[in-house]
Amino acid sequence: MKKNTFYLITGCIAIALVGLFWYSDVIRMPLLIELAFIVAVAAIYLIRRQVTDLKEDERDVKITEQAVLRTMQVFWVVFCAFSIGAVMQLLRAPAFPRGFQTEHPPILPELLSPRLIGFVQLGLLCLMIFLYVGFRIYYAGKYGDWETDEE
Amino acid sequence: MKNKIKVFRAMHDLTQEHLAQVIGVNRQTILAIEKGKYVPSLDLAFRIARYFGVSIEEVFTYEDEENTGTVQ
Repeated sequence: MKKNTFYLITGCIAIALVGLFWYSDVIRMPLLIELAFIVAVAAIYLIRRQVTDLKEDERDVKITEQAVLRTMQVFWVVFCAFSIGAVMQLLRAPAFPRGFQTEHPPILPELLSPRLIGFVQLGLLCLMIFLYVGFRIYYAGKYGDWETDEE
Repeated sequence: MKNKIKVFRAMHDLTQEHLAQVIGVNRQTILAIEKGKYVPSLDLAFRIARYFGVSIEEVFTYEDEENTGTVQ
């Protein structure tokens, strides 16, 4: 399979995912898009193995590794910081664990609504993508991707 | 790490594209190695040296600016 065909198929899968995202929102069934996303990524990985003219050598692998490593180094800190806040919310919830000890558990203001958590997660996803692309561009430049020669 | 890939290519009248094909990497990788932007793995360095029919030391030279001493 040629790499252009692979890119075309990937684009079609992405469009189908956007459609499924919309549809799963319409029928109020998030599980549909979640499963579809996993299947789509697995399909892309499988199709990618069939591409014959997409050569990835050790320098490409190193660029990818470095970009992923740096992305994760930044991302896990931001993600854990947010998650700690969410855990604090869980611990302060009236039903757990102090709710079992009192008849009238205190009603605390909701610091992180599910809607807000969704928006923050969306932001974190965007952050991860931007970090990865940024680091990838940086390491590609560092390992000579933009070098030109007389040939 | 310095290398003489460009010299050996000229001696064998090879293009970067051709060398990259026979070694099994992208042309950009050969270019990056020649420019000193990327240090190849031992495996790749040996493959390049072996292709030119010389020892690895003839193609690659290790230069450590901080410590040039050797173990006594």
